[in-house]
Amino acid sequence: MAGPDPASPAPDPAELAERVAAAVIRVPGVVALHPGAYGDVLTYLPGRRLAGVRIGRPSEPVEVGLVVGLDRPIPDVVVDVRAAVAGVCGDRPVDVTVADVREAP
Amino acid sequence: MTESAGTPQASAAPTVSTPSGTASSPARLADDTAQGKTTIAASVVQKIAGIAAREISGVYAMGGGVSRAFGAIRERIPGGGTGAANIAGVAVEVGEKQAAIDLDIVVEYGASIVELARAVRRNVITAVERMTGLEVIEVNIAVNDIHLPEVDGQDDAPAVASARVE
Repeated sequence: MAGPDPASPAPDPAELAERVAAAVIRVPGVVALHPGAYGDVLTYLPGRRLAGVRIGRPSEPVEVGLVVGLDRPIPDVVVDVRAAVAGVCGDRPVDVTVADVREAP
Repeated sequence: MTESAGTPQASAAPTVSTPSGTASSPARLADDTAQGKTTIAASVVQKIAGIAAREISGVYAMGGGVSRAFGAIRERIPGGGTGAANIAGVAVEVGEKQAAIDLDIVVEYGASIVELARAVRRNVITAVERMTGLEVIEVNIAVNDIHLPEVDGQDDAPAVASARVE
C-alpha cells in the first residue's frame, strides 16, 4: 500500500480529492458521490466542484459522501470505501456519510 | 456566593458506561471511531424500510391520505426525488447505533391485519438491520385504511352514471 511518504511534499489536496473520488466510485455498491445532507462534503476545484469528497488539513479526517445501491449491506460497502481511501491517503481517519440509496433500475 | 470549582455534583458517578457489547446487536458501525465516523442519513433508513414494507403482499399502499397525495405529485415532478413514493408513510429516527421506525400503511381487504403487521415488521427489521447495520429498536405500524378491490371499479363509474337519464 503506497502510504504518503513523509519525505515527499504533501500532495495537492485538489489532486488528492480527485484520486479519492476515482477510488471510491469503483467500490462495488457505491452508485455515486454525494455532497452530504448539508452540502458541505465537497472540494472546490478550478472551474467546478467535486461533490462527495473533502480532504481538509492533514490533521482532519477525510470526508466522503456516498449514494449506495441496495445490493450490498452498507457496513460492508463502508469498510471497502475506507480501504479505498486509505490506498490513496494513507493512514487518516475517514468520515463516511451515506446520504442516499438508489434502487437498481 | 463563591464558586468552588469542584462541586460535589461534578464527582457524581461517571455514568458513561455504554453497554456496547449487547451481543448479536448489529452495532458494527460504531466500532470504527478510530478510523472515522460513519453516518447513515435518515432518508436511507426511510427508503429501505419503505421498500421492505411494500414487499409484503397485502400492503396496498403506504402513508396517510395527505402524504399519499403528495407522493403521487412528487413522483411526477422530474427530479422531485427518485423514489419519493418509497418514503411516503415512513418516519424514522436514526441514532448512532439504533433506529426507530413508524409506518403508516393501507392494507388490502381480506388480509389478516395482525399477520400482515407481523410480517411487515419482520421484513422491515431484517432489511434495515442487514442493510445498515443499525439495530432496529421498534417498528410501530399504523393501519390507517383498507383498500377494497371494488372501489377501483367505482372510480370510473361517474362517467357512466351521467348517462343514467336519457
